[in-house]
Amino acid sequence: MSTLWDTTGTEVVKALGAARRNGAAVTSGLALTFVVVAEERHVEMAEAAATTAAAMHPCRLVMVVRRENTAPTPRLDAEVSVGGRLGPGEAVQLRMYGRLALHAESVVLPLLAPDVPVVTWWPGKAPDRLGTDGLGVLAERRVTDCAVHDNALDALRTRASDYAPGDTDLAWTRITSWRSMLAAAVDSAGGPGRASVTVTGGRVYGRPDSASAALLAGWLSSRLYTTVKVVDSDPKAPEKGGLPDPGGVSGARLDLAGADPIYIHHREGAGVVTRSGRPDSSAALTERDIGELLGEELRRLDADESYCAALAAATNSRGLSRRPGTRSLIWEDPAAAPDKRGEDLTVAGKVQGSRR
Amino acid sequence: MSAEVRESAQGFVRESAQRKPARTQQRRPGNPLRDNADRRLPRIPPPCALVVFGITGDLAQKKLLPAVYDLANRGLLPTSFVLLGFARRDWGDGEFIELAHKAAKEHARTPWREDVWKRLAASCKFVPGAFDDDDAFDTLAETLLDLEESHGVAGNAAFYLSIPPDSFPIVLKQMQRTGMSDNIDDSITGYWRRVVVEKPFGRDLLSSRELNELVDSVFTAQDVFRIDHYLGKETVQNLLALRFANTLFEPVWNSHHVDSVQITMAEDVGIGSRANFYDATGTARDVVQNHILQLLALTAMEEPVEYTPDAIRTEKLKVLRAISLPDDLSRYAIRGQYTQGWLAGQRVPGYVQEDKVPDDSKTETYVALRLGVQTRRWAGVPFYLRAGKRLPRRVTEIALTFRRAPHVPFTASDTESLGQNQLVVRVQPDEGVTLKFGSKVPGTVMEVRDVAMDFLYGTAFTEASPEAYERLLLDVLIGDATLFPRHQEVEASWAVIDPLEEFWAGQHPAHYRAGEWGPVEADQMLASDGRIWRRP
Repeated sequence: MSTLWDTTGTEVVKALGAARRNGAAVTSGLALTFVVVAEERHVEMAEAAATTAAAMHPCRLVMVVRRENTAPTPRLDAEVSVGGRLGPGEAVQLRMYGRLALHAESVVLPLLAPDVPVVTWWPGKAPDRLGTDGLGVLAERRVTDCAVHDNALDALRTRASDYAPGDTDLAWTRITSWRSMLAAAVDSAGGPGRASVTVTGGRVYGRPDSASAALLAGWLSSRLYTTVKVVDSDPKAPEKGGLPDPGGVSGARLDLAGADPIYIHHREGAGVVTRSGRPDSSAALTERDIGELLGEELRRLDADESYCAALAAATNSRGLSRRPGTRSLIWEDPAAAPDKRGEDLTVAGKVQGSRR
Repeated sequence: MSAEVRESAQGFVRESAQRKPARTQQRRPGNPLRDNADRRLPRIPPPCALVVFGITGDLAQKKLLPAVYDLANRGLLPTSFVLLGFARRDWGDGEFIELAHKAAKEHARTPWREDVWKRLAASCKFVPGAFDDDDAFDTLAETLLDLEESHGVAGNAAFYLSIPPDSFPIVLKQMQRTGMSDNIDDSITGYWRRVVVEKPFGRDLLSSRELNELVDSVFTAQDVFRIDHYLGKETVQNLLALRFANTLFEPVWNSHHVDSVQITMAEDVGIGSRANFYDATGTARDVVQNHILQLLALTAMEEPVEYTPDAIRTEKLKVLRAISLPDDLSRYAIRGQYTQGWLAGQRVPGYVQEDKVPDDSKTETYVALRLGVQTRRWAGVPFYLRAGKRLPRRVTEIALTFRRAPHVPFTASDTESLGQNQLVVRVQPDEGVTLKFGSKVPGTVMEVRDVAMDFLYGTAFTEASPEAYERLLLDVLIGDATLFPRHQEVEASWAVIDPLEEFWAGQHPAHYRAGEWGPVEADQMLASDGRIWRRP
């Protein structure tokens, strides 16, 4: 590991090259560059999560911490390690001060691994428009997390209005096991000797302010071509969900044509499937930490159409899938007067190391 | 060419190069929540029971029970699932759960979670009995029926025969008698019954045919799953991806460019406590007939028309049937047996000194073979296979050695240390791919030397890659037979081994010291072809 104080991007590139040569065997087969845009207070959590994710996918980890962007002189500090405390692969941690923080991509661009996709993750609150962050513009995949916002549903709406193919949100990743259970419940609803069932609609039980619950309902709506709503769960009534899981989802109901509905609710780390005339059955709904969620995110490096459909249905927006997959940089200077913000500068071609 | 024309020409190319549309999921066409584009959703089997015969055995405890726990931990088991053990023990459910708990906790790959285990333990059942005990099987059949009500397993059951092959007939007959195996057609009965068998699949063509006929008569052929755990390994599946998803390798994957192929499966361990089984079997039957010939088939096969069980099997079968034996078996089919020696700093006994091995045993613990594959692609390319125990290290790999360049502009002394290009697929350990090629040594003279380019699954992916048994077990419960050899393949493999066993019968194997790379005869076999074994 080498630490560089008050350095330049070129020095960081050199240090990474040197570290690679020293630990050559560990670093073969990079599949992606993983850019983490963290605030100082999230660094510890982001490091732990990124390390877990990096252990599952061979990647180059570039963590950018922006600090004191009002500092009078720009400064760059860096820490470069290969197979060290930040996972088995190559890792660069960059701390940027002053106006440099607004031009973070100038340091990151030469650090991207050649010709592999870039995934950017915001452990804290992501910008309302991801295009305003140069580190989001250069990525093919952008991962946000609505759950860190005070009003997760507002955040979800922001994500929808800003959506471009390649975006996903961890609120969506959190419900993969729920979705898997629901799909499996419909798979087995037919049962021996019975014809396959038709699902006519359903309900999602959970905290009304949960982005995950909204996305689960959105997903069901998009798959069933009907409107599935989120209903506040009732901790006393298991058929209405019971206690919500950490994502805010506590259960779901699937209505079947000509048959009793299927209820699934969350109970002590498990999903319990209830249906009249059948014994209750359950399967683990294990709680995954952020690192494991990221591991799932890094598995796919193309746009997630199912998320797009669920997000559109959850926020009542249209045409999301037809938006262009590349983003252009929207210049926004926090120091500038508010009326000048958001003026589009079409410098996209120069900023991104786009593979498309 | 005008811009417009060029554009449309490109458009045409793009269109024709487009991938085939993803096949619609055939399993359950009716489920609106399933979508092929939704790759996050894992494959989960329908409600079912897994019935294991011989649950107290070594394999069940080391591989099977941990794999079941790992699947449960990863959320890949259906909500209605029952693990039903059957063995000759005077046990109730409690003792069985205790055994399963210990085995799973000790050997599980994924972290231990008590709540996952509790839920799994609640669906563990045990039926005691011997294989010739009619009452015990009647109880088993009743238990299975009861589970339909109590656990909602919907009649689906997979029977795992983790028992010696000589017990197969009696167990299968019992299943037939009690009607447990009855399932002519899933679409009529509405449920499935599958059987899983482990190697060895017989001990020669005749016995394997008998066994296959027996199993296939009790169950239907497509419900029989033969586990060859090598096919569950990620690298072996990656071999198909490497060959058929890339443009780079397939053009040189033939006799025009490949000089020879070496497939090595070395183990550093001896026979352990398996003396009785091993002495009657030998290396050729134990690993060459199944693992090595499957690796050879995957290496040499043509591109399947699609990634489906039938298409892949068709291609593998063509290769297995095209395998030819050398005319001079005494030179190209070498058997060896290890003698006392030193391995990894420890003194180890010779094969005949192992417990329960007769002093005059002629069983081989090492095999080296030269086979040919009589197809247009491979005519003239020798496939050298070797497998053995008590070799210096545990390694399995497939190495393609390419022909030398027909002409190099450098002088002979420049390229003195340049070997032949090699592509090595390492199956275990350090799963990955290595490409060996020549490169200039830095300096003022033109000197070319071999260097290796490495792709390592190991360091970066191991945490996420499942154990072979986990994968295969899941495939059985889902009903995906892609990674399981069918009886035609087993029989085609025996057709390769039988003439060798016939030739070797009565002969003494050559000797090699434990800790060496096999007998000197194996080295001579390659030397007479002007080649040497790759040190894996």
